[in-house]
Amino acid sequence: MLSYFSRIWAARYFWVHLALADLRSRWRRSFFGVTWSIIQPLGLTLLLTLVFSRLFNTDIVTYAPYILSGIIVWEYISANTVGGSLSFVQADAYIKQCNHPLAIYTLRSVVSSAIVLMLASLSLYSWVAVVSPQNIGWSWLATLTIYPILALIAWPVSTILAYASARFRDIPHALGLVMQSLWFVSPVYFEAKMFQNGGLHALVDYNPIYHILQLIRAPLLQGQWPTVSNYMFSIGTAVFFGVVAVLVGYKSERKVIFYL
Amino acid sequence: MKNNRILLSNVNLHYASVAYQERSLKSLMAGMFSKRPKASKACDIHALKNINVEINSGERVGLLGHNGAGKSTFLKTVAGLYPISSGSLKVEGQVRSLFDLSLGFEPDATGRENILYRGLLLGLSPKFMREKEAEIVEFAGLDEFIDYPIKTYSAGMQVRLAFAISTAVGGDILLLDEVIGAGDANFMSKAKSRITSLIEQAEILVLASHDFSALKSICNRGLVFHHGDLVFDGEIALAVNEYNNINGL
Repeated sequence: MLSYFSRIWAARYFWVHLALADLRSRWRRSFFGVTWSIIQPLGLTLLLTLVFSRLFNTDIVTYAPYILSGIIVWEYISANTVGGSLSFVQADAYIKQCNHPLAIYTLRSVVSSAIVLMLASLSLYSWVAVVSPQNIGWSWLATLTIYPILALIAWPVSTILAYASARFRDIPHALGLVMQSLWFVSPVYFEAKMFQNGGLHALVDYNPIYHILQLIRAPLLQGQWPTVSNYMFSIGTAVFFGVVAVLVGYKSERKVIFYL
Repeated sequence: MKNNRILLSNVNLHYASVAYQERSLKSLMAGMFSKRPKASKACDIHALKNINVEINSGERVGLLGHNGAGKSTFLKTVAGLYPISSGSLKVEGQVRSLFDLSLGFEPDATGRENILYRGLLLGLSPKFMREKEAEIVEFAGLDEFIDYPIKTYSAGMQVRLAFAISTAVGGDILLLDEVIGAGDANFMSKAKSRITSLIEQAEILVLASHDFSALKSICNRGLVFHHGDLVFDGEIALAVNEYNNINGL
């Protein structure tokens, strides 16, 4: 177990390079380059806010950052589930040639999407700082914890999915559907109080996605520290998937090469 | 002298047949509920059968055998890519393997970027690769094309670059699988001398090939595989005879 992580560390140049190369190839030959990862969520936010604030009669100024935080975090989650499930299949050339620990290929998408998330969240911080400066405070430090916690969830989840997808190629397709339904029942764009008013408390209270989003939303949007239960749920999710990923990896890591 | 060693005792390797049969959830489910015996049943492929080999420092080993006899599987097992189903495998020393050279290029990146890429893939540090870069560029001889994306390269140029990168660093244990035969005539002679010097540096060489004259000139020990069995282990000249015997040549 420990030696597995030391092998991941030994291959660090390789996976960091893969992650950066993914970003480079994404922005290669585009005029806006890196800024696209800031423009894209902002544009979508503007559009959605215009529609939703009319539909739900909410205040446009506070609702826009709510949507923006939902968009960028959801982008990260779907990059690591739908995209991450293909990690092994896409890295088959490397896997067939070199005996690196397989978890580095999912780490690749975790790292590259984390960089996109951090860039995109810059626009969120500055937006909130302009429209609701009264929220600025020490609690903003808590927003920094969302990045490592999200990564600790995304890495095992995408690893589990990558193992499953190497075996069953239907999974990446099915995941698109699953993630869409998960999005629908989570307070990503829709406000948590809409679910609660509709008597769907469970979808908020026991939904790890809600609790993870609270890590960044509570400080920025309400100027409050995230609650202990937010952290418990988030870290609990990470531990749960971490254990499953270790068990799955222990059983199937060596067999993956036969399925590629 | 370092003590490099490859030791296989009672090694068996099976390719899992499920990998070729049940590709989808649907077929797995269907299989669970249908009572009907399957029309055709592909068995697990027993690719290496009870192999016992010890290779010590200084040995040059040639692998012979018909296509599908288990030569490449043996090499990939030693490289640690395939999981053995039983027995024990011990490899002491840094393994460097040259299997399929053209795998793992990023088509959109330039030749120069791909040098760094493959170096990192082989587990080397970026600093080391930058030192080696000039030498690799020089050896590949691609002139200005080295700064063009790989997707604009011809097949021959890709092989030359891949060869130049993969052979830039040696290892204690060198595993070669039919790599000799890349590029045009001019490059071939360069490649041959490069391979020869790599072989000289390596403590252990394991080479799979159908080129008997190359095997006889490079190796001193031959292993003959036949349908996954190791049928002969001894001097290379005798191994070539044995191979011809078995295959009725």
